[in-house]
Amino acid sequence: MADAAPVTEDELRRLSEFLYRRTGMVFTESKRYYVQRRVSDRMAVTGATSFASYFARLRSDIAGEIEQFINAFTVNETYFYREEHQLQCLTRDLLAERTRRRPRSDAIRIWSVPCSTGEEPYSIALWLLENWAQVDAYDIEIVGSDIDTRVLGAAAGGVFGRRALMRLTPDLVGRYFEPLEDEHWRILQDIRDSVRFTPINLVETAETRTQGKFDVIFCRNVLIYFDDASRRVAAENLYENLAPGGFICLGHTESMSRISPLFDVRRFNDAIVYQRPERPHG
Amino acid sequence: MVDAAGKRVLVIDDANLVRRYYRDALERAGFEVEEALNGLEALEKLQDAVTDLLIVDVNMPQMDGFTFLKALRRQDLPVAAIPALVISTEAGAQDRDAARMAGGNFYLVKPVSQELLIEHVSMLCGIGP
Repeated sequence: MADAAPVTEDELRRLSEFLYRRTGMVFTESKRYYVQRRVSDRMAVTGATSFASYFARLRSDIAGEIEQFINAFTVNETYFYREEHQLQCLTRDLLAERTRRRPRSDAIRIWSVPCSTGEEPYSIALWLLENWAQVDAYDIEIVGSDIDTRVLGAAAGGVFGRRALMRLTPDLVGRYFEPLEDEHWRILQDIRDSVRFTPINLVETAETRTQGKFDVIFCRNVLIYFDDASRRVAAENLYENLAPGGFICLGHTESMSRISPLFDVRRFNDAIVYQRPERPHG
Repeated sequence: MVDAAGKRVLVIDDANLVRRYYRDALERAGFEVEEALNGLEALEKLQDAVTDLLIVDVNMPQMDGFTFLKALRRQDLPVAAIPALVISTEAGAQDRDAARMAGGNFYLVKPVSQELLIEHVSMLCGIGP
């Protein structure tokens, strides 16, 4: 593919504004190369001959270009059992606390957002099967959500390459995956059926509200892409998606304390986790 | 390791993860496993499959475990006598009684560890340690 003409400063600004309004993600001058590459790709795919014609196409959302464009900007690579210490924390502390005073008939709800191609929500399912002694005693509802609708299809398909499985033992791969050709594996149907996938934009309150309340939310390495204002909106939305006393796990470099005062910090042996208080802070 | 060769178990539970959890334990112990998502589906599967043991959850959509067992025990067919291990979240004496009245042979309260499951399945299949 021939490189399209470089995006000018003004064009970059217009694109960034557009992306920001749609997703809350901020791309400044320092990310110019990153933006340029993705715009060139989309221009090539759509056959746009100039930035102006591409941008017109984008703004009019011709053939769903907005979604395609946003998809091109999300980062998708991850792997099973990433940040295992948080999964340890989930079964040793978080679920113990969440199940202490509740009837068995109440479902345990866990949300993985963004879930990318499914590694995280499926990891949660595998981890619970392997490490939570109460796994058969509760209805467990795992929901995986992402703004990138392309990855959700892949997630539901449940096919993974060697890189995604690198942290799993051969025993786990043997018991929970069926081998396909070309170094790929498909996670078993029971596990695929135990995760529900939905599209979500974390800064769209109308969308997050439809997901209901969760006991535990895994929201790793996405808030770092937001600016302060959208980060705050996302944090408030996540707060609303937690049951009182529910927990949220962020990426290990992220801190909720710097984003929102709504949450309590909880330090467990395996991880630092944020909690929606049983009663709002007065 | 028990000698489970050839023994077939039908796991009847609506929760995907629970079926996977039991199936994983059973297969590693050498049992062959079939699954059904509720009592109705189990009744259909039992028409043409040879089964040595039923593992029956209680609360399921469409047909619960007790209704299923009653319907099964009423049948005038060999399948009516297949032993059933009822696994429930309810620990009360009245729940155990209800399970026995419905036709359950043994009752376990969740959570059931994989070891405990294999111990009871082996016992009910007549496989001694």
